Amino acid sequence: MNIILIFIAATIVNNIVLTYFLGICPFLGVSSKIESAIGMGLAATFVMTLAATVTWLIYHYILVRFNVPFLEYVSFILVIAALVQIVEMFIRKTSPELYRALGIYLPLITTNCAILGLTLFMVLREYNFLESVVFGFGSGVGFTLVLLIMAGIREELEFADVPEAFKGAPITLIISGLLALAFMGFSGIISTS
Amino acid sequence: MNIIIISTIAMGGLGLFFSVILAITNKKLYVKEDPKIEKLLEELPGANCGACGNASCHDLAQKIVKGEAEPNSCPVADSEISGKIANILGVESKEVITRVAIVHCGADEIKRKKRAVYIGGETCRVADIVGGEIACSYGCLGYGDCVDVCLFDAIEMIDGLPVVDLVKCTACGQCVEVCSRNIISLETFDKKSLPATIAIACNNPDKGAVVRKICEVGCIGCSLCERNCEDGSFYMEGMLALIDYSKVYNCEHWDLVIEKCPTNTIQRLAKESKVLV
Repeated sequence: MNIILIFIAATIVNNIVLTYFLGICPFLGVSSKIESAIGMGLAATFVMTLAATVTWLIYHYILVRFNVPFLEYVSFILVIAALVQIVEMFIRKTSPELYRALGIYLPLITTNCAILGLTLFMVLREYNFLESVVFGFGSGVGFTLVLLIMAGIREELEFADVPEAFKGAPITLIISGLLALAFMGFSGIISTS
Repeated sequence: MNIIIISTIAMGGLGLFFSVILAITNKKLYVKEDPKIEKLLEELPGANCGACGNASCHDLAQKIVKGEAEPNSCPVADSEISGKIANILGVESKEVITRVAIVHCGADEIKRKKRAVYIGGETCRVADIVGGEIACSYGCLGYGDCVDVCLFDAIEMIDGLPVVDLVKCTACGQCVEVCSRNIISLETFDKKSLPATIAIACNNPDKGAVVRKICEVGCIGCSLCERNCEDGSFYMEGMLALIDYSKVYNCEHWDLVIEKCPTNTIQRLAKESKVLV
């Protein structure tokens, strides 16, 4: 039961993008087309799940055990960077089309604050191993979901009569604000902290 | 002191562990890439327009290196560039055939007859859902979607009609695809004859009487052009005249045909004598 709650909380209620406003760079950068949004979402979900798994192991079996938990920031960054490199090589080998579609945003997952954020949340909330994995996966699904919603809206937006001054980034930011407001409607359904 | 040593070992160990894993995956998943591909990419336009039928310039470069595509397959690149590409590959280059986008509508803002007032999204694709203002359901809506989509800045709206800069146009086909009324087509030209390019400025296949009611410059299907040039350089498809660009410059009277056309549907595109080299 707890696992399901964590998953729903990570996906919808405490959505990493719209509640914590982490990972805004790919959220605004790769959300202009549904296709690339799905690709980016899947890549991020994969990295998030993997990062949550590996960082939990490292935190509990190395950092806590040797009593150096202050190393969490630097070691987590190291883990995420290495994981993204591996994922990048893997995608490049298996699907060159997806690799090119993701472009610069794939290496940018390295410095994506959403991923570092979720690993730090995981430590802060004292999740056990299974909970961490579910939390990482749920955050990834939430990220993909929001990216998809945004891409859908922005594809429709191409036909809309937007005032000249709001074209491009401004209207996108306004929409993400409105989306965040909408997602706040979920708050309080599940209390996590 | 102890804690410093432990943290050094911990971080060093982690770093070493991940660098070993990275090294192994790099070996296992290494993607071999021909250095020629990189060189070709430098020569190709890099607009990823997709006119050659590939998803990106990178794809085309790959195919050219593999020999699946000709060095002159890029419709955007001129013969100088395809020559360079051929040089890199060590093969002889072929002359690039020149293609440009031709607009088949001549109803500008003044000549355009309106059937309604349109208020709504100012793009052709939106306006076309309800038909827009223009009376002719085959004519140019005039909101300039083709201008927005052109990667090479080759289309300009003049009096509400798109005018293609024949020098800048690379025949990438973006405008052809975006035009909701399909009035733009890609035509093949002999380079020398480009300065005198002519076009049928109409796309309406309806009968003459119907066309005459809604448009001043529409083709009424009188077939006068077909009769004046007997070699088939102008031909009728239903009630619409078309030009066979491979023949038209051999016809002696094509100059006369333009003058004779009762509705002035056949137009010269290069008004100022832009000379192409």
